[in-house]
Amino acid sequence: MNFTLTIFVIILLITLAITYWAAKRTSTTADFYAADSQLTAAQNGFALAGDWCSAAAFLGFTGLTALYGMDGAFYALGPLVAFCTVLFLIAEPMRNTGRYTLGDVIRSRMQTRTSLLAAIAGTVVVNFAYLMPQMAGAGVLVRLLTGISYDWAVIFVGVSMIVYVAFGGMLATTWVQIVKAVLMLSAGAVILVMILSLLHFNPLTLFADAEQKYTAKYLLPGNYLKNPFDQISLGLGYTLGLAGLPHVMTRFYTVPDAKTARRSVVWVMFLAGAFFAGTTLFGLAAANFVGQDVIRAADRGGNLTLPLLAQYLGGGKGSFGGDLMLGFVAAVAVASILAVVSALTLSTSGAIAHDLYVNWIKRGQVEGKQEVWIARIAAVVIGVLAVALGILAQGVNVAVLVILAICVAASANFPVLILSLFWRRFNTGGVVGGMTAGLVSSVILAMIGPAMRGADALWPLVNPTVVSLPLGFLGAVAGTLMWGRDSENEQRFDAFLLQVHTGVMPK
Amino acid sequence: MARNGTSLEAAHASVKQLIAEKLKYLVPMTGIYIVSYIGLTILAGFAKNLMGTKVIGSVNLGFVLIAFSYLLSWLLAIAYGRIAASKFDPLAARAAMEISGRGK
Repeated sequence: MNFTLTIFVIILLITLAITYWAAKRTSTTADFYAADSQLTAAQNGFALAGDWCSAAAFLGFTGLTALYGMDGAFYALGPLVAFCTVLFLIAEPMRNTGRYTLGDVIRSRMQTRTSLLAAIAGTVVVNFAYLMPQMAGAGVLVRLLTGISYDWAVIFVGVSMIVYVAFGGMLATTWVQIVKAVLMLSAGAVILVMILSLLHFNPLTLFADAEQKYTAKYLLPGNYLKNPFDQISLGLGYTLGLAGLPHVMTRFYTVPDAKTARRSVVWVMFLAGAFFAGTTLFGLAAANFVGQDVIRAADRGGNLTLPLLAQYLGGGKGSFGGDLMLGFVAAVAVASILAVVSALTLSTSGAIAHDLYVNWIKRGQVEGKQEVWIARIAAVVIGVLAVALGILAQGVNVAVLVILAICVAASANFPVLILSLFWRRFNTGGVVGGMTAGLVSSVILAMIGPAMRGADALWPLVNPTVVSLPLGFLGAVAGTLMWGRDSENEQRFDAFLLQVHTGVMPK
Repeated sequence: MARNGTSLEAAHASVKQLIAEKLKYLVPMTGIYIVSYIGLTILAGFAKNLMGTKVIGSVNLGFVLIAFSYLLSWLLAIAYGRIAASKFDPLAARAAMEISGRGK
């Protein structure tokens, strides 16, 4: 317990020092939203790994594998495959056509106010659906690890994220993510080496031991995701939803050009991919060494599997090594939450201050200096709102929100983004149609599904992406056709294409 | 430097060529990972016993395919990086020059 608190305080001091350093370098809008686009590919790759690997993800993947076998490995594989979509189709065009937000891309393609409003809606809904369970998770985790109450834990996380974002903008957020990624990867490497040395460097014995202990059924798919369509939904949601998560995509604005954006995706694919592959081994090792009963007793969902495994590897409960390892992993988890909630707050403040206030309400007529202040105020307001929602969410089942975030990202943001970049006839009607169909169908199906209503579900799938994603595309196409031919928009597409592929805008 | 219609036209032609080049590589590469990953989830959903076939010791086909997917994603990422640098970037650079009016 003491170790956790000590390591945790050290991390906090480091991040505050980073924020102080970053605040002095943050004065323009480009600084605030995009760290002046000066990051290298490796820096952005580490930051992407810090941004995308939330605590819920790596604690969850390890726990799922420990308790349910192969389904956990499927969860862990999804993010890596997802980055193929981002690498091939999204990262470079995003970098070439926008400046700070997802709304920028839609706006530079459509040049209409209505389409910008649709992009804002998509960003805000996804970010808040993601932010709220992160806050609730932070409350539970920090309480569990340090002993302070849930409410104070949420307030503490909220205040830290507000300080990082409001003072240090993207530069502070980025370095918090980099610190977190380095900590996470080193924790993973240490755990991996310790496991392998116990197994005499033959990971295959993990599988043999697991089979012996829990029968061959444990190593089969479908122990967690009972409905086959849920498996497919998960696959679709992950592979395409990532490309619609605004807080991850805005990271591509922090590098100077499309080539660097591309190289940063390759970095994150190796960093995060290797770590997530590790969680599968960690889960199997935990099932063997710690045992499913102990894991379930600590947390029914298995979210404490990784800390428990670290404690076991360090020498067990009460030993110096065990406490040290537990403290280390616990602190990494808290750092992860801080890194992710900061990115979400920053991205939401971009949607509110840059897209809604400056470009929608004021039609771009705002001075740069003033915009930075508006963005800072927006970050504070969003942070306070997130704390309030996090406190209200105590004891509420927030799992449905996690599903909702990824589902809306895949079903509303992704179709609109991809069609904006690649379809000549796509128009404002299509943006509105796609956003509405994707959003509404995701919300309704998630709300009437088992994640929300349990046994009373009116609809069998936990994750509705397999239905809502085609509906999102359908809405986008239907909206486009109903809007009618917009010849000016179609002619402008040639100029937009130049920008998509070269990053240079013809004047 | 004054930009004239001809260099912008040249830029459009270069980008057209770039898009054709991108399609040539990206359509099959995107097809490979989408089909293999969605195929894997379909197998996991509907062919549980097949996925349970032992391959190496206690490691079953499902885990082998998962490991294969990791390798495939990494290979595709490296391949894309190389193809983009050697085939796409020169065309994009040429088009960018032409747009800003310094083309021939």
